[in-house]
Amino acid sequence: MTAGAGRFPKKRGRSMFKLIGAVIIILSTTWAGFEASRHLSQRPRQLRQLKSALQSLEAEIMYGHTPLGDAALKISKQIPKPLSWFFEIFSGRLASGETTVKTAWDESLKEVWKSLALKQGEFEILSQFGETLGRSDRYNQQKQILLTMTHLEREENDAIDRQGKYEKMVKSLGFLSGLLLIILLM
Amino acid sequence: MGIEVDIIFKIAGVGIVVAFLHTILDQVGKKEYAQWVTLFGFIYILFMVASVVENLFQKIKSVFLFQ
Repeated sequence: MTAGAGRFPKKRGRSMFKLIGAVIIILSTTWAGFEASRHLSQRPRQLRQLKSALQSLEAEIMYGHTPLGDAALKISKQIPKPLSWFFEIFSGRLASGETTVKTAWDESLKEVWKSLALKQGEFEILSQFGETLGRSDRYNQQKQILLTMTHLEREENDAIDRQGKYEKMVKSLGFLSGLLLIILLM
Repeated sequence: MGIEVDIIFKIAGVGIVVAFLHTILDQVGKKEYAQWVTLFGFIYILFMVASVVENLFQKIKSVFLFQ
């Protein structure tokens, strides 16, 4: 009698623990799914911002005759956060001197890369663009900017495609895999 | 008896979730992943059922062979 009475609350406490664990598992996998879908939706947006940044860089070079460092600083004030860091760091490195434009561009690209939602293809495009930056006269520079914009356009279309395809899948996949894990562990 | 009902619900739960996963993966065109998921779910359930059947055989042995 006493043994039975003792067992009941113990069992209840254990199922309570199980419930808490199940909730934690569900929450974490759902969160992971949402994080992945946020990454997917962030990529086209950042590509669009990057394109508009390049456009204003073109305008600064062609019509404003602004030095590259000042132009980068201006652009960093115009665009929203993760990308603006890139131009801010770039202009800071240019202002501190002692580097070429190419190494400053590459280093600032590597520094902010982790916080961007972009892929390896965009990295290559941007670092190739950095090689041409500040090397030639204004008209050649404009051509390079236009070339980079077309590349980015292609990547943006790809990113939008992927977003439409996988965004919902990733969300529900996170939740369902959490559910499956709970059932398997129960 | 309680254990058997429990295992039936577990199998049903795995089946439902795996069916959902299959549908979603199928819709976005990842057919091969969908089939892998279904296959693994099936194997898992098969193992569970095998353990139950093994229990049954043990019981039959203990009844008829007097061990």
